[in-house]
Amino acid sequence: MNMIDIDLEACDGCKICYKACFVDVFRWDEAAKRPQVAYPEDCVQCNLCELNCPTGAINVIVDWNKPFPSVLEHGPRYPE
Amino acid sequence: MKALGDLGIVHDTEVLIVGGGIAGLTAAIATKEKSPATQVLVVEKNFSGWAGQANKGAGVFMFLGPDDPVERFLDYHTHNIGCFLEDQELLALFAAESQATIENLDSWCHTFCRNADGSLAVDTFKPGLPWRLAAAEHDTQMKAQRYAKRLGVDFLEKTMVVDVLKEGAASGNAPPAAGTSRAAGAIGFSLLDGSCHLFRAKAVILATGGQSYRIMSMWNGARGDGIAAAYRTGAQVRNAEFGAFMQLVNKRSKEPLLGAEDALYNAKGECLSSWRREFEPDVDSMAGAVWYREMLAGNGPIVTHNDENWLLQHTTKRTEKGGHGDDTPELWNRPKAEAFWERLLSKTAAADGRGPVSEVFPGFLGEFSPVRVDHQMATTVAGLYAIGNTATSGCAMAGAVPASPGRIRGKALTSSAWMGIRAGAAVLDYVGEVPPGQPDADLAAALKKQIFAPLRRHEQSRGPGLEPIDLVRQVQAAIAPVGYSIYKKKGRMEEALGLVLEAQGRIPELSADDPHHLAAANEARAMILCAEMFYRASLAREESRGWHLREDFPERNDAMWLKWILLQDQDGEMHVSTEEVPVHHYPFQP
Ligand SMILES: Cc1cc2nc3c(=O)[nH]c(=O)nc-3n(C[C@H](O)[C@H](O)[C@H](O)COP(=O)(O)OP(=O)(O)OC[C@H]3O[C@@H](n4cnc5c(N)ncnc54)[C@H](O)[C@@H]3O)c2cc1C
Ligand code: SF4
Ligand code: SF4
Repeated sequence: MNMIDIDLEACDGCKICYKACFVDVFRWDEAAKRPQVAYPEDCVQCNLCELNCPTGAINVIVDWNKPFPSVLEHGPRYPE
Repeated sequence: MKALGDLGIVHDTEVLIVGGGIAGLTAAIATKEKSPATQVLVVEKNFSGWAGQANKGAGVFMFLGPDDPVERFLDYHTHNIGCFLEDQELLALFAAESQATIENLDSWCHTFCRNADGSLAVDTFKPGLPWRLAAAEHDTQMKAQRYAKRLGVDFLEKTMVVDVLKEGAASGNAPPAAGTSRAAGAIGFSLLDGSCHLFRAKAVILATGGQSYRIMSMWNGARGDGIAAAYRTGAQVRNAEFGAFMQLVNKRSKEPLLGAEDALYNAKGECLSSWRREFEPDVDSMAGAVWYREMLAGNGPIVTHNDENWLLQHTTKRTEKGGHGDDTPELWNRPKAEAFWERLLSKTAAADGRGPVSEVFPGFLGEFSPVRVDHQMATTVAGLYAIGNTATSGCAMAGAVPASPGRIRGKALTSSAWMGIRAGAAVLDYVGEVPPGQPDADLAAALKKQIFAPLRRHEQSRGPGLEPIDLVRQVQAAIAPVGYSIYKKKGRMEEALGLVLEAQGRIPELSADDPHHLAAANEARAMILCAEMFYRASLAREESRGWHLREDFPERNDAMWLKWILLQDQDGEMHVSTEEVPVHHYPFQP
């Protein structure tokens, strides 16, 4: 799973990261005026939250071993 | 008889656009520019301007300039890309209007790279190919969204539309039969609080992108919702057998390595790229077949030699300062797009390394886009339109290739914008003639029950139910393997279809604990339906043509198969039929 590391001290509550995500990873905490990383398991490292954060508070740490479907898996069953 | 208002929050509009990517936005702008008084509402699952594919590294637009004859383009396209399954009239129309589409878009967004004299900065993909490329900055979508807002387009964000609502009597859970009533709205829910939203409209435009099965990173948002909604409401689907786009990707990061197919080698050091011709437009499915055969023969791993990858070298040069010829300092100056790529590449380099040789495999992108539309972007259901990646194959302008991109890099964006602009004009004619939509409330109630079922199941059951992601993985395992979806054969496809139908049988077990997972559950349903369409159409086409490669029918068969394969729901069954391509009325014949 990717890790979306947010420095909440540096964050100024602009909401950009929350809006930038195209796969619904964030929720917005209205009371704290800060982003919540609600569904990190869905992050696919587009990096748009990180790139567009005006305070540089976000770091998306990529897990390159996330589950990925095999493209050959059934192959050995078809020696033909 | 229920009232719509009893079911949730009701929104009234004239033109309802589902999906606020580049296609949905251009449709909204085109409608509103021409007719400011017409109400236009864009419903977007995430945030319009940010979501969608056009800002995930995209930005290259193909077009035909004044010196590019449409005939030459059609000639090349029919012979080398679409293999005579094109609707040549529509393709000619698109080609003729492609430059105007770009100029139109640029007049709204001002994001295209231009030369000092104000002309478009233009390049070729490969010398000799009969089209050109222009490039826009990475924030084109964002600027289009702002412009649409200024024009008075309304937006509802973080709301997922699941089904189209129709007028007319419905019985039980079954929507009225195709053609019996018109589309009059849609139903969905808020991703934030799970509230049910209903839309009453005169016309509905589906612009939810394609189906990419949540496999590849940047294509992850394409989850086929609009395709499934169109099919479930009775719309016809066309060219579903071609929705299997793939690119060779780096083994570890799974990010595409463009042009890798031109320099493939097996573990014995044998070059595998002999089928690639000099004027090959872009990647083809043969790259997947070659990879598969070599792997099965025990000749893996398969690698690509980056210094022999012409496209990689050329693309790098195009964006490097001082890199493109002597007198062009920078052809395309796109700081935002470059920042995007630099960030991504610096991270992937940590995974893949940056050596001269890269191990690759075929990554499945799908880009399934089969909703059938006519030249006005109208589906076979009255009042229902589809554009962009929802309908690029279905409109048939690309022929026998996954579309978009349809083996022309840069065609996806131009065609999405073009389809949007065209739909905007057509929909205005339509809404001028029809009264406000009156969606059938009983049908809406039945659909609501189905949409929210996974939430109810979670509340009612004590043990954990079936998580949507588990079903998604089951579909991925049935679609991603090359031997199933790229290099096809009857027995293997039947096996894959069996896996898909097994997944379908598990839909009643789906469970969701919140609106985010409810979205995933409804997306999983769409994925299952799309995969079924793909295999039913693929099994029907007993020949090889264009992207569609059959191990058991390796030859193209023009005598039998100058036909489109059509799919349509008939009483819950996926009905397969064919239609002759009117190729003798077109300028080019095989
Ligand atoms: C990495 C990458 C690079 C690319 N490069 C190029 C390029 O250089 N040139 C080119 O021509 N093409 C390129 N493409 C393809 C091009 O970007 C797409 O074809 C085009 O952007 C598709 O636009 P669209 O509006 O049809 O769909 P999308 O961009 O997918 O937009 C669909 C929108 O609908 C929303 N949505 C989905 N489901 C629902 C729902 N149920 N309810 C409400 N809203 C929903 C989504 O959130 C999204 O905002 C690239 C694609 C990728 C991923
Ligand atoms: S990197 Fe992209 S996908 Fe991941 S959280 Fe940020 S915006 Fe979302
Ligand atoms: S983009 Fe950065 S500053 Fe803005 S809310 Fe997110 S973390 Fe905070």
